[in-house]
Amino acid sequence: MDFLFLLHQTVCGAIAAAGFGVLFNIPFRSLPWCAVSGALALAVRTYCLGQGWNLEAASFAAALTVGAAVQVLRARTDISQNALDVVGCIPMVPGSFAAKAILGMFALTSTSTGDASDTLITAVQYALRVTFTIGAIGTGLAIPTLLLRVRVSR
Amino acid sequence: MDAIETLIPDDTGAAPALEPLAMVALDAGRMLMEAGANATSVDEIVAKFARGLGAERVDLRIGYASLAITIGIGANGITRMREVGHLAVNQRLDQELWHLAARVSRHKLTVEQTRAELTRLATQTPRHSTWVMAVAVGLACAAFGRLLKVDWAGTGPVFLAACLGQWVRRELLTRHVNVFICATVVSFLSSLLGGIGAHWAGSATITTAMIASILLLVPGVPSVNAQSDILDGHPTLGSARAVTVAVILIFVAAGLWLGQVLFAKIF
Repeated sequence: MDFLFLLHQTVCGAIAAAGFGVLFNIPFRSLPWCAVSGALALAVRTYCLGQGWNLEAASFAAALTVGAAVQVLRARTDISQNALDVVGCIPMVPGSFAAKAILGMFALTSTSTGDASDTLITAVQYALRVTFTIGAIGTGLAIPTLLLRVRVSR
Repeated sequence: MDAIETLIPDDTGAAPALEPLAMVALDAGRMLMEAGANATSVDEIVAKFARGLGAERVDLRIGYASLAITIGIGANGITRMREVGHLAVNQRLDQELWHLAARVSRHKLTVEQTRAELTRLATQTPRHSTWVMAVAVGLACAAFGRLLKVDWAGTGPVFLAACLGQWVRRELLTRHVNVFICATVVSFLSSLLGGIGAHWAGSATITTAMIASILLLVPGVPSVNAQSDILDGHPTLGSARAVTVAVILIFVAAGLWLGQVLFAKIF
């Protein structure tokens, strides 16, 4: 595994998560936790991808790791667990795949008959990857929460 | 099954002020939901407020655009509904609401004091300034771009396009422009500027730079909340969130498509 590439992905994940932390109005003093969360997510995902895992499985492992780490660290941070989870995993949300999938659907209306099947297959592949990756992230985050959360008695 | 008589306590004649209690608890839940919380958090905070202010029974129904609560004290009960506004993300308000909920649950505040505190939080909770948000979002999108393999020449234009896109988005939302229209306008503007900038900078990854410029619009919080709500037993709310996420993505893609069409006409 290329260490410099792993470092690059980790730093980019940290910057993206901290940037979205500001967008979500997280106070400056808590932004380092957001950066750590994003860095952890991208480090795990990049490592798993480097080991030959597919994107969905790597995203699941990364989200599971972030979810578990946030559960362990929740007492030390002043951010809600939900926000820290989400901010950390936002760099993994496949927004570009989603855009490509919908653009592919748009393109179906203008392509010639010969290209239509290729365009459709590509668009559907992107759409499925988006669905499965978001599902993997959501499930990975939910498992530690559901296992460890103490529900308030009502 | 309990006999119906056991579920209906005797009326003691006392009539506690249920109306303000219910409305304060609903307001706390509404504010938390509008700050981007999931259903379980809203459920918990409403229960904390209502019980902390004296309610003995609390039942909450959480919808996408409204909350309904039934609270009871002794023989008296009341059901009230409250509309929920635009669902944004405001983590500082979320924190403050939980701090207030902790005080209320220790019975340290009256209903009126709690209402005053909620009003103070709604009006005085600070937000990052527009330019700080714009720069932060620009950096985030530039980092996204690098993750998507945008080359260094394209990274600067992505930063600038996303900064401007975030500034325009904030201005449009301040003027109460529809969020879906806002998504299309910002997507069009940011993708076009990102593409033109990347072209001028000599980038070899112009299309990816255009996509990276609009990633500030990806509804990450609603998409994760949609799943967690379904997993927590709120499938109606989760489904509504998922549909909203899908529609936002379509509007974002429409803006990107328009940007790509215009970019192709220019160059």
